[in-house]
Amino acid sequence: MGRAKELLKNKNAVTLIALAAAYAVVAWMLYSGHITRQFTNMIIPMSMYIVLAVSLNLVVGFLGELNLGHAGFMSVGLFTGCLLSISLADKLPLIARLPLCMLVGGICAGLFGFAVGMPALRLKGDYLAIVTLACGEIVKNIITNLNVTGGARGLNTQPIYSGAKALLPYAVVLVFLTVIVMMHIKKSKQGRAIMAIRDNRIAAESIGLNVTYYKLTVFIIAAFFAGAAGALYGHYFANVKAVTFDYNMSIEILVIVVLGGMGSVRGSVIAAVVLQALPEIFRDFGDYRMLIYAVVLILAMLLTNSPRLAPLRQKLSSVRLGKAKETGGENHGTA
Amino acid sequence: MMKKMMSLILAAAMVFALTACGGDKPASTADGTDGTKETIKIGGIGPLTGDYANYGISVKQGAEIAVKEINAAGGIAGQQIELSFQDSQGDAESAVNAYGKLLDWGMKISMGCVFSGEMATVCAAAKDDDIMLLTPSGSSDNILDSNDKAFRVCFNDGYQGVMAANYIKEKNITDKVAVLYQSDYDYSTGLYESFKKGCEENGIEIVEVQTFTESTKTDFTTQINKLLAADVKLIFIPIYAEPASTFLTQAKGKFGDDVYFFGADGLDGILEKVAQDVTIANNVLMMTPFAADNSDAKVQAFVKAYQEAYNGATPDQFAADGYDAVYILKAAMEKAGSSSGAAMAKAMLELEITGVTGTMKWTADGNTQKNAMAIIYKDGTGSLFGQ
Amino acid sequence: MIEFIKTLISGLGLGSIYALIALGYTMVYGIAKMLNFAHGDVIMVGAYAGIVAFTSAGLPPVFTVFLSVLVCTLLGVTIEHFAYKPLRGASSLSVLITAIGMSYLLQNLALMIFGSQQKAYPQYVKLGQVSLGAVTVDGITLLTLGVTACIMVGMSLFINRTKLGKAMRAVAEDRGAAELMGISVDRTIALTFAIGSALAAVASMCYGLTYVYIKPTTGAMPGIKAFTAAVFGGIGSLPGAMLGGIALGVIEQMAKTYISPLWADAIVFAVLVLVLVVRPTGLLGKEIQEKV
Repeated sequence: MGRAKELLKNKNAVTLIALAAAYAVVAWMLYSGHITRQFTNMIIPMSMYIVLAVSLNLVVGFLGELNLGHAGFMSVGLFTGCLLSISLADKLPLIARLPLCMLVGGICAGLFGFAVGMPALRLKGDYLAIVTLACGEIVKNIITNLNVTGGARGLNTQPIYSGAKALLPYAVVLVFLTVIVMMHIKKSKQGRAIMAIRDNRIAAESIGLNVTYYKLTVFIIAAFFAGAAGALYGHYFANVKAVTFDYNMSIEILVIVVLGGMGSVRGSVIAAVVLQALPEIFRDFGDYRMLIYAVVLILAMLLTNSPRLAPLRQKLSSVRLGKAKETGGENHGTA
Repeated sequence: MMKKMMSLILAAAMVFALTACGGDKPASTADGTDGTKETIKIGGIGPLTGDYANYGISVKQGAEIAVKEINAAGGIAGQQIELSFQDSQGDAESAVNAYGKLLDWGMKISMGCVFSGEMATVCAAAKDDDIMLLTPSGSSDNILDSNDKAFRVCFNDGYQGVMAANYIKEKNITDKVAVLYQSDYDYSTGLYESFKKGCEENGIEIVEVQTFTESTKTDFTTQINKLLAADVKLIFIPIYAEPASTFLTQAKGKFGDDVYFFGADGLDGILEKVAQDVTIANNVLMMTPFAADNSDAKVQAFVKAYQEAYNGATPDQFAADGYDAVYILKAAMEKAGSSSGAAMAKAMLELEITGVTGTMKWTADGNTQKNAMAIIYKDGTGSLFGQ
Repeated sequence: MIEFIKTLISGLGLGSIYALIALGYTMVYGIAKMLNFAHGDVIMVGAYAGIVAFTSAGLPPVFTVFLSVLVCTLLGVTIEHFAYKPLRGASSLSVLITAIGMSYLLQNLALMIFGSQQKAYPQYVKLGQVSLGAVTVDGITLLTLGVTACIMVGMSLFINRTKLGKAMRAVAEDRGAAELMGISVDRTIALTFAIGSALAAVASMCYGLTYVYIKPTTGAMPGIKAFTAAVFGGIGSLPGAMLGGIALGVIEQMAKTYISPLWADAIVFAVLVLVLVVRPTGLLGKEIQEKV
């Protein structure tokens, strides 16, 4: 009894339990057929967006650098992973092939993250954001112009296509892996170092933290998970084109991170589910989706970051008895 | 507090979202059991909003005309039909979700998707469903491979490009051509490749190939310079109407009056795109199986019905494809005697149908072959070329 | 050779549009220290304002341009007041995200009002083509070049010779010190946005007359490329923006002619990455010391 109470106090444990319960319900519904087709079709994209948002949160929320090329990382993992999967399609069963391809896709994306992260040696803030944007666009351009990836016509992934039922276990594993790794990083010594860099880079440097090392590590880890998600995601389509994974998609992931709360793993998970489900429910309002995203981005930033609204925020948080601690997102140090 | 409220709202939204998605099981109507009152539900998917909305809207409107006509004439085997057309914005992920939504709605037959990319993934997702898919306009070559119940109304790109080359040879237009195509778009590259093949077969020489991409489709100066230098009588432009309008606007007055711009079905709607100055589209030749001024009685009846229904708008090829698709589905269902996908797919192979886009027969790979004509535009009106 | 000259001229035309947009970027970045991602979309709004004024309301060309400048200026100041001003002093990350949000907001509002289909910008200035020996040039390209050069000179005079310009330089140099000297930082930044947006309106005119078709997303790509140009030239420097814009335009057209249009975008972005990695201050930018 006491243990259970203690467990409930642990926010991470609660998140993991809730997530596991949610997936258990979804899996039961899916495999027993108590589910609509529309919902079936949303499970895999939702899971992928959870992975993308949580991994982007590592860069944006923990490290405090804006990455506008997250979809590009995903793209790298998707195409390398799927190309490998296609070549192994009749040699290995899905159970061995998919994890391998996700690993390879993740590693390739990680290498790419390393390449993009290198400018982090010299750049910060807006410039770094623009470099990630540029790299995302360059990747898109290169993949579209290559023959091996199917070029403009897209990669024909029909040989490796798998439905939601086949992919769900892998998606669940990836989601849990991502969430647990992020939670662990947040609590660890490295995580505190990363957040120290975010809050005050110069101070962090002065106490001997290797800023470059941490920045690069963050970029690589985030890219790895995005790439692994990409490799899995490719199996869910019969044809994938690089142009799908453009700047707009990166922004969509960013919206999830911002809405869920920068630095909050749990927030990213919830926001990913909500932002994936709402457009489906309100299919007929497709045109308004991006408009609402835009308003959400602006309002979320103004409400949580405006120095002018600081007194209001303080007032609100002092109402929360005994819970005045500042977590992620709010107050990102001084400019 | 703020964060707590936010997460509460989010969590509430999530619960709502999940229940709304997962909650409503496809309800079988009470009066559906005896089979007399139940309608046959047909689903369609395509871009109704976004950059390519005109194509999806055309298909939808054409299909609606056919549905109206069929219902007025007593439906299919006494059953009325009902069409639901879902917006995908041309995006594959959204199209798959829309396909799921249509199944939940009770769709028995599918018109597939308007675009190739979305059709490919929906075909794969529908592999295990007993549903026939008939795309009105998805022309990319391999998209139907994963599903043996998938067919198309339009030409496939691999055939259309060759046919364009044949047409040039047949009408003896020229034996030296140039090409401008969009290198990051499947439709455009697919057509270009098959056109190249067709040119080799017909001894037509391609002297210049120029490309552009989605993000460079606003400025054609360098391409126009190179095309001018090539000095040809025909430029093949297998691109969509929107970039074509930009290209033609920038090219206006630079090429001679005897230079043709030859495009395919994607050019449909070019006149609306250059509505501010329709002479921009002068000398544009468009290959199509459907021409609104074709004197064929069936075509004229369709054009008249379409104009009456949509404020005098003239149907384009996509509308005609949508119209034909519904009639083909009707014929296949009548032949098969049921709406079972497998039975209808089998019936498709035995059908020969004359629609407004010509006479069609299908092969097991889902493709069809039919004749094409070319329309030439002059001062805002299109007429059959060579007449 | 003729091909080369033709490419060069079209590069100059494209580049001068980039330069006009880059001027707005560089001023705002130099003075407000923020990347106004929505700047490109202000151009799109200006173009739609031009279409409405000329085609729908039937205003004469001079008023059309005036109205579009007015709309953009008001828009720029409004955006600054409601979205960016409350975030002064917050982290650059949150300002940048807000700016991205603003860019999306403008695009989607335009989508809502004008629809996704392209609209033709009225061709109220007809210049035809000018022959220079063996090379013919679009008159509009020359007009754009002229307009950009005039604005560059005018802006330089304004910044260097007037009191307001001095105030702007002071705010760019050290915001706190400027405030102590009695300069209203808020008003100076608002003025910067007003001028930058007015320039965007002029850019929208040049863009519309050159490329004719306007869509809600019209501003996005030129915006990003103009930012590249501003960085290339050295952010915060007016001549740098001009030089960067022209250089980028020429590079892009040369790449399209001599390499392939396939790679034009990748090359432009690769230039950006290279400049940022090798020389983050750009061609004419100053080294800025980081303050603790």
